[in-house]
Amino acid sequence: MAETTEPILEVRGLVKHYPLTSGILFKKQVGAVKAVDGVDFELARGETLGIVGESGCGKSTVAKMLVNLEKPTAGEIRYKGEDITRLSGKALKAVRRNIQMVFQDPYTSLNPRMTVGDIIGEAYDIHPEVAPKGDRRRRVQQLLDVVGLNPEYINRYPHQFSGGQRQRIGIARGLALRPEIIVADEPVSALDVSVQAQVINLMGRLQDEFDLSYIFIAHDLSIVRHISDRVGVMYLGRIVETGRDAEIYDHPTHPYTQALLSAVPVPDPQAREHRERIILAGDVPSPTNIPSGCRFRTRCWKARERCALEVPALAVPAEFRSVSGPAAHDSACHFAEEKQVVPPEGEGEGESGGGGSGPG
Amino acid sequence: MLLEVRDLHVEFHTRDGVAKAVNGVNYGVDAGETLAVLGESGSGKSVTAQTIMGILDVPPGRITAGEILFEGRDLLKLKEDERRKVRGAEMAMIFQDALSSLNPVLTVGDQLGEMFTVHRGMSRKDARAKAVELMDRVRIPAARERVKQYPHQFSGGMRQRIMIAMAMALEPKLIIADEPTTALDVTVQAQVMDLLAELQRELHMGLILITHDLGVVADVADKIAVMYAGRIVETAPVHDIYKAPAHPYTRGLLESIPRLDQKGQELYAIKGLPPNLTRIPPGCAFHPRCPMAQDVCRTDVPPLYDVTESDAERGSACHFWRECLHG
Amino acid sequence: MPDQEPYEPERAIAGTGMGGTMDLGASEAVTLEQPPGPDGADPRDKPRSLWSDAWHDLRRNPVFIISALVILFLIVISLWPSLIASGSPLKCDLAKAQEGSQAGHPFGFNGQGCDVYTRTVYGARTSVAVGILATLGVAVLGSVLGGLAGFFGGAGDAILSRITDVFFAIPVVLGGLVLLSVITSNTIWPVIGFIVLLGWPQISRIARGSVITAKQNDYVQAARALGASNSRLLLRHIAPNAVAPVIVVATIALGTYISLEATLSFLGVGLKPPSVSWGIDISSAAPYVRNAPHALLWPSGALAITVLAFIMLGDAVRDALDPKLR
Repeated sequence: MAETTEPILEVRGLVKHYPLTSGILFKKQVGAVKAVDGVDFELARGETLGIVGESGCGKSTVAKMLVNLEKPTAGEIRYKGEDITRLSGKALKAVRRNIQMVFQDPYTSLNPRMTVGDIIGEAYDIHPEVAPKGDRRRRVQQLLDVVGLNPEYINRYPHQFSGGQRQRIGIARGLALRPEIIVADEPVSALDVSVQAQVINLMGRLQDEFDLSYIFIAHDLSIVRHISDRVGVMYLGRIVETGRDAEIYDHPTHPYTQALLSAVPVPDPQAREHRERIILAGDVPSPTNIPSGCRFRTRCWKARERCALEVPALAVPAEFRSVSGPAAHDSACHFAEEKQVVPPEGEGEGESGGGGSGPG
Repeated sequence: MLLEVRDLHVEFHTRDGVAKAVNGVNYGVDAGETLAVLGESGSGKSVTAQTIMGILDVPPGRITAGEILFEGRDLLKLKEDERRKVRGAEMAMIFQDALSSLNPVLTVGDQLGEMFTVHRGMSRKDARAKAVELMDRVRIPAARERVKQYPHQFSGGMRQRIMIAMAMALEPKLIIADEPTTALDVTVQAQVMDLLAELQRELHMGLILITHDLGVVADVADKIAVMYAGRIVETAPVHDIYKAPAHPYTRGLLESIPRLDQKGQELYAIKGLPPNLTRIPPGCAFHPRCPMAQDVCRTDVPPLYDVTESDAERGSACHFWRECLHG
Repeated sequence: MPDQEPYEPERAIAGTGMGGTMDLGASEAVTLEQPPGPDGADPRDKPRSLWSDAWHDLRRNPVFIISALVILFLIVISLWPSLIASGSPLKCDLAKAQEGSQAGHPFGFNGQGCDVYTRTVYGARTSVAVGILATLGVAVLGSVLGGLAGFFGGAGDAILSRITDVFFAIPVVLGGLVLLSVITSNTIWPVIGFIVLLGWPQISRIARGSVITAKQNDYVQAARALGASNSRLLLRHIAPNAVAPVIVVATIALGTYISLEATLSFLGVGLKPPSVSWGIDISSAAPYVRNAPHALLWPSGALAITVLAFIMLGDAVRDALDPKLR
């Protein structure tokens, strides 16, 4: 693991506010949708960082800013030490080669009027320096082979493929420029259950083969655990808890993470009966009107006065600072407390003891 | 049996030929019982449900054979106006996408009240009061004020509650819920599923829960029917199927989902793709993807073998169910 | 990784290059659970683009075949009217005024004693020329302006939207009466110019909306993430996916432009005699409708059939390009 070296990607204070305007010709701002409201993380080479959260938490907006589809309102995205949010023209194009994206919906992410060969090969039209003209077709066929599709399919159109096959095409497109980082936004959530595993395995294999670093964004906590080395949990535009996968899944200290984990349906009725379920009240508040203090307090069963007044920082909570167990990881809660929600069954390689609180 | 589907066959005519969406489905639900129908897209689970409800588009769909017995009456033999009386009053459906199932230009109160003015001949005022009562019942806060709001003013979870309220309005005997929580966030899914289960217990209704999510099923179902390529490949009480699946497809599904409490290197993956319904493979439709397939699987369609071992009834449409169950 | 070998034979059995039309997205999956799932790829299947699928549909649509044959016939006779009409439309004999059908003159004569058959055949040229040229002008102007406004948005878009609103407020016939009455040229160009002036906002609106829809597709985002330029996004990704509604509406509009030309000529502000146009003939036959209804019926019938043919063609094209709209 290359975690001791400089991170390949570093995000600091990332903010994206969409202004809300009124008026037809002369617009005036009346508020803002705070989609992303101060996000920090880093990604080491060869690592997978999973970002989980419910819809509307801002995880997809983070993805779009990472690949420069949206300009951040504030904050920095440092790729190998260089802030890429201020780049444009040639320099931006060069960075784009190295950070690519895999989209959620394989039905809308491939241009229906282009052949598979044109879709994947477009990368070489835009970046002609990557592959000489005569070599492009061969490269595209190679990519098809790498993602497990018949290279003879190069002249077909996307609608001639199933969802899983289309997602493989999307992955091949992401790989065409040999990027170092791939941002995958819910890459399997639109696929059939029996095909999801194929695509996840493919992504795992490609990571080793091409030495890729992944930002893996999903709402499905089980899939994120499977693929991630580290996990960040997002709520209303912020990361509320982050740590290595075992720290988050087996020793969560933020009440939101605990609720999220307890709500995941487990395909095993017996395991289910041993679990305590935390059912949160209400819905996620609107990102135009974020609660003061801790943004989770309106749904939190632990909320006290302090939570409305003081914004909790994303840091190792005071009570865990002295211990060096898996509970000592960043958690933005004034009343952080360990609670084991997922029963420690199965092989659980990430288990490192420590902890201390029993189930329930 | 409250509802019994017998040997149902449904086809669709498409440009590329006849798509056989449902190929001899049998299942039944009792009052107060929850049957989960599990399958991927194209398995025929939703088409079966639409046929039961009588909302299948004909054409392109066509019911070629089968019976749907609801309290002993064959619904497929009823005339359209008799059928309409059954729909809504005796059986109701909840859809995945609550936003597109609600009329955006009518208030929620009008839409809920309509159930009573149309089916029960109530006055508008009484119907409005009933609407508020229903919204209270599905625990929508401030029902008296919110009854005047439009669907887009509600969050996803609240809209699905309204759909549930609408389905429950006339206290039907059977509810069909087609992926009712798929479009919702995990933390809201649990609330909505609990509500549905609670109301079902209270009103002693039969519930058919259609889903692709093995996790959701584990929570609330009494028994499961797994569908593949328009057939039921396995039926079992919910606990048994997770403990020991008797069909390689069910087994593959269970093994291929990542688990919250485990982190493995490589997931088990079912190879290949779900079949095209215009060209379902001969013999067992699953054989091209099956790790246990033998020659007989390529030629002989497996019947739903009785694989009951304890007192609860089980069935598996696999020639090698013994090997699957014990191997 | 035993499960990951590329293209095992099973996959060939599983998939069969299915019913590829643009409806086979998630939308259909919701209602039909995708019975004709777009399950990938049988090696026997040829690559099929959406255009070729649409053409495949069109060729089997009787509405398309009939309307296309009618239109083809109209185009041929407007290019070479002498193929089926031997006389001159301007050779009139007052002695035969209002006479009915007779040998060599199947449609009879009009009030000036001109052969109705010959005039009806020659009148097609005006109608077809006005229809096609005006539609081309409207489509090019409207889709360029609307497309750019939709793609770039901002102040330009807001201004364009207000301008189109203003144009929608102009009553077409009244506008024609006012604007064209000051023009003395007796060619089809002022009429075409007027139609383009009033017609572009309709196409511009449609092009704008359809570009905005296409712009939001993930494949546009994907190309942008690769570093594609705006012109590449517009020409390669957005235009091909946004053009279908423009084609459909333009085809239907073509028919209405033909009838608009006839209306203007009928009112005396479009073409004027000695030009030959169905509108002029309808206008000149109207006073004698009791004595010589045939002189009114033939040009009116030709006009109605022509307009209908274009509208039906537009309908058929829409069905083929986007079956969801049915």
